[in-house]
Amino acid sequence: MGGAVTLAAVILLGLFAVWSGCRVFVVDSMVRASFSLMLSFFCTGGIALVLHADYLGAATVFMMAVEMMVMAIFMIMFMMNPAGLNPMVMVHQNRLSIAAGAAAFALLAGAVLLSDLPDRPVDPARDTTANLGTELLGPSMLIFETAGVTLLAAMVGAVVLSSHRGRFGDTDAGACPPGLTEGGPPAGRRPEEGGGHGHGGGNG
Amino acid sequence: MTPLVLALPVALLAGAWLGAWLDRLVPVLWGRPAQGPFGPLRDGAALLARPTATTEAPDRLTRWLAPGTYLALAAVGLSVIPMAPGLAPLDSSVGIVVWGACEALTVIAVFLHGWSPNAPFPLIGAYRYVAIGLPVMLPSMFVLIAAALPAESLSLVQVVEAQREVWNVLRQPMGLPLFLLVGLTLTLRGPFDFADGADIAGGTSGQESGPGRALWQLARLTMLTAFSAMAATAFLGGPLGPGLPGPAWLALKTAAVMAVTVGLGHTVARTTPSQMLHPLWVGALPLSFLHLALAGWVAL
Repeated sequence: MGGAVTLAAVILLGLFAVWSGCRVFVVDSMVRASFSLMLSFFCTGGIALVLHADYLGAATVFMMAVEMMVMAIFMIMFMMNPAGLNPMVMVHQNRLSIAAGAAAFALLAGAVLLSDLPDRPVDPARDTTANLGTELLGPSMLIFETAGVTLLAAMVGAVVLSSHRGRFGDTDAGACPPGLTEGGPPAGRRPEEGGGHGHGGGNG
Repeated sequence: MTPLVLALPVALLAGAWLGAWLDRLVPVLWGRPAQGPFGPLRDGAALLARPTATTEAPDRLTRWLAPGTYLALAAVGLSVIPMAPGLAPLDSSVGIVVWGACEALTVIAVFLHGWSPNAPFPLIGAYRYVAIGLPVMLPSMFVLIAAALPAESLSLVQVVEAQREVWNVLRQPMGLPLFLLVGLTLTLRGPFDFADGADIAGGTSGQESGPGRALWQLARLTMLTAFSAMAATAFLGGPLGPGLPGPAWLALKTAAVMAVTVGLGHTVARTTPSQMLHPLWVGALPLSFLHLALAGWVAL
């Protein structure tokens, strides 16, 4: 009975994960895409919870919530589409993407079907959270720390990229909007020669 | 899951009413008349009777999903908190991580609430809230991990048990003040109300009226309840205490934390988001590192 309920929950969560994953490419905005992807990850966290990996499940929900929020903000920030509110197409390089997707699916499905999956039921009374902690800070410490430092480097990189001040002055110095016609003069008001209207700093 | 789950809606609604009344009692501090205990119910009924406002091309799904999620997060957050020693409605072995997930998802619920009306002020409120909410979540995690250290467990039942001798608020004196910052952020209050502030015409709620607005306010108040109960559990020993039964102690401590949170929300001024970012990253975050190191040293 318990096994059948677990199986049904895993199947339903898996189907919802695939559906919300597909929504990422169908919806028309960065925010909707980010949070669809988040729902998909939540389903995998839910599967971990159903399988009694309590810490992994809760931590997946918690990490994905923060990550997808940051991702949505960064995607909107680096996008030309103002404020991420205008509808936009979420796919590009269709042929390459389809080929890459099909190849990845075939590889992963093949790995699942061909490999000898373990079947070792864990005693429900066992403290899997403590086991996980011992593993991460023991035998797998090097992998864990490598991933951690890589992520830290990526975060520092992202902060540097989005910083207003840079080595060569402010990031918007000398920037101008694209032309209204192709190859035309930049749209909007142009800064006058000599720079600035008394703003000081000479970044006009 | 235990039958205690049935007590959750009662606790949430009672806490929401108390929080709303405390909000209306605050003028007493300045010697002005305060409203009676029926004030919140009257205001809530008036809010429900107002017509629903609509905007151009809103995101209809998230418009209702955002307040609903906020309310659900408060309920889930409260459900892992032990109401009597050793007895939580949802006895999770990783209760603190579940609460952390509720905190992180609150940022998303508030963001989507501001994003869904497709209007400028709500959107500004949403972006401002994310910019402040994310750096506030970081000290929150360190403070909660520190609270779990003496118990050597992520289960809140164990965290309460570990406070039988001495409460965490004495062992870890910086924990509760840092956690109050988190509470003000989670419930969009006072110095951390960057989402719904009056300076941007109501922010994420600026375009809302009627039942949707009422649901949002109710969700904020239930989150205040869940946060206060969490602070009381992690730092004030939760249901532990002499004489009275456990739930009564938890309710008293929750009410005390709630009163402090409401008071801070009404008495501390709000600065701009860009000015607030600096103390959060340069002050609160290193302070929480220090707090965690000290708590670990004490726990050893």
